[in-house]
Amino acid sequence: MANIAVARIKREFKEVVKSEEVAKCHIKVELVDDSFTSLRGEILGPPDTPYEGGTFILDIRIPETYPFNPPKVQFLTKIWHPNISSVTGAICLDILKDQWAAAMTLRTVLLSLQALLAAPEPDDPQDAVVARQYKETSDIFSQTARHWASNYASAPHREPVMDDKVAQLKNMGFDEHKARVALSTHNWDIEQAMENILS
Amino acid sequence: MATENIEDAKAQMGYDPTTNYDEATMAQQRQIEQEIAGCQPLIGKETDLKTLHDEYSPEDKIYQDKITDLQRKHSAYRRIRMDGNCFYRGFGFGYMEKLLKDKSELQRFKEVVTTSKDEMIKLGFPSFTIEDFHSNFIEVLEKLEKDCGVDELLEIFNDQGYSDYLVVYLRLLVSGHLQKNDDFFMNFIEGGRSVKEFCAQEVEPMGKESDHIHITALTAITGVPVCIEYMDRSEGHGVTTLVFPDDKTPVLTLLYKPGHYDLLY
Repeated sequence: MANIAVARIKREFKEVVKSEEVAKCHIKVELVDDSFTSLRGEILGPPDTPYEGGTFILDIRIPETYPFNPPKVQFLTKIWHPNISSVTGAICLDILKDQWAAAMTLRTVLLSLQALLAAPEPDDPQDAVVARQYKETSDIFSQTARHWASNYASAPHREPVMDDKVAQLKNMGFDEHKARVALSTHNWDIEQAMENILS
Repeated sequence: MATENIEDAKAQMGYDPTTNYDEATMAQQRQIEQEIAGCQPLIGKETDLKTLHDEYSPEDKIYQDKITDLQRKHSAYRRIRMDGNCFYRGFGFGYMEKLLKDKSELQRFKEVVTTSKDEMIKLGFPSFTIEDFHSNFIEVLEKLEKDCGVDELLEIFNDQGYSDYLVVYLRLLVSGHLQKNDDFFMNFIEGGRSVKEFCAQEVEPMGKESDHIHITALTAITGVPVCIEYMDRSEGHGVTTLVFPDDKTPVLTLLYKPGHYDLLY
């Protein structure tokens, strides 16, 4: 069994490496060690989305039963997205669960994740807080997602007002990430965010 | 307020936001699968049909009568592991077992499989993986050409990786046939889904069970007519026999019990 998984990953590795998307630097896969069961993926945030130009790193684990069962994938780069946990990076995507098929590959997974960044599915959320913000106040959602992408994924577009608010809380002695989470969760209301951190 | 209630409820259930519950669920499924694998081979030994009587209570008149009826036409059966792939695996093994004794049918089938690859790539399946599953399938057919015996075939089908590769290709054949004829099959799909969506949800993933639509597609694309003996709790003393397609003579017979297929002789 394990041999099938490793042989398949070795072949897929070559497939991704020589694919067109790689040439355009849109997706990438790297080995973490020489085992072929633990990989590092990378996707570029798609254009016309809050994630545009950001580099998102993924942890990919290949189960022994691959390709009959899906790879385990999660975001290592912190991201604000309805279908990705802002806490753990866990992903809610059908093909990584019960709709995985053995004919799919790592390339399919990375391209599907890129598509997920461009088209969130708030009715099947992984992060309920983000999903609610996406549905109720989509402007604030977009700005928040862009703010996270610029701070964690080196995306070029900044959100200066949000950067300032985080800096304010940071200057008051709060942990930067905690401040960002609290502000993001409370629609950037500084008082509510502080109350939340202190409670 | 509403959110606080949800948070309270989560806390009471021991909800931990840092745990990935989907992964925990999948891990548990894997564990259950492994436990089943430990006590049941993918394809069992050929067993006298009489033993099927012992599986049901003597007072279970409906099933006892139906097994007796089954014995009028069949003498033995092979148990297939209950993993949601039983239809494909049972079909694959049962048919290839016949091919061992029918070289001209083997050539016809090899031709079908050979042309299927390009058809599927034309339909938009990823050539990278299709080729992988296709070449593995052809490899097994070549073993049949070289007169491998039933024992070797049984060994192939009981090797989880090898066996699953064959199941995947049969699933792809079904998906390809449904998508190629979506004008027709869309009439039989429930839930407002497209044929492509249906295939992604109910055909291509491993472990998804098979219904009439899957059977119709597999028998049509392979050109292998199949008889299914339905044994369920419905009234009557006999099993219900259906042949797919109904105007052909079946090459092999499967026994259907709700949610599962075994192979009949």
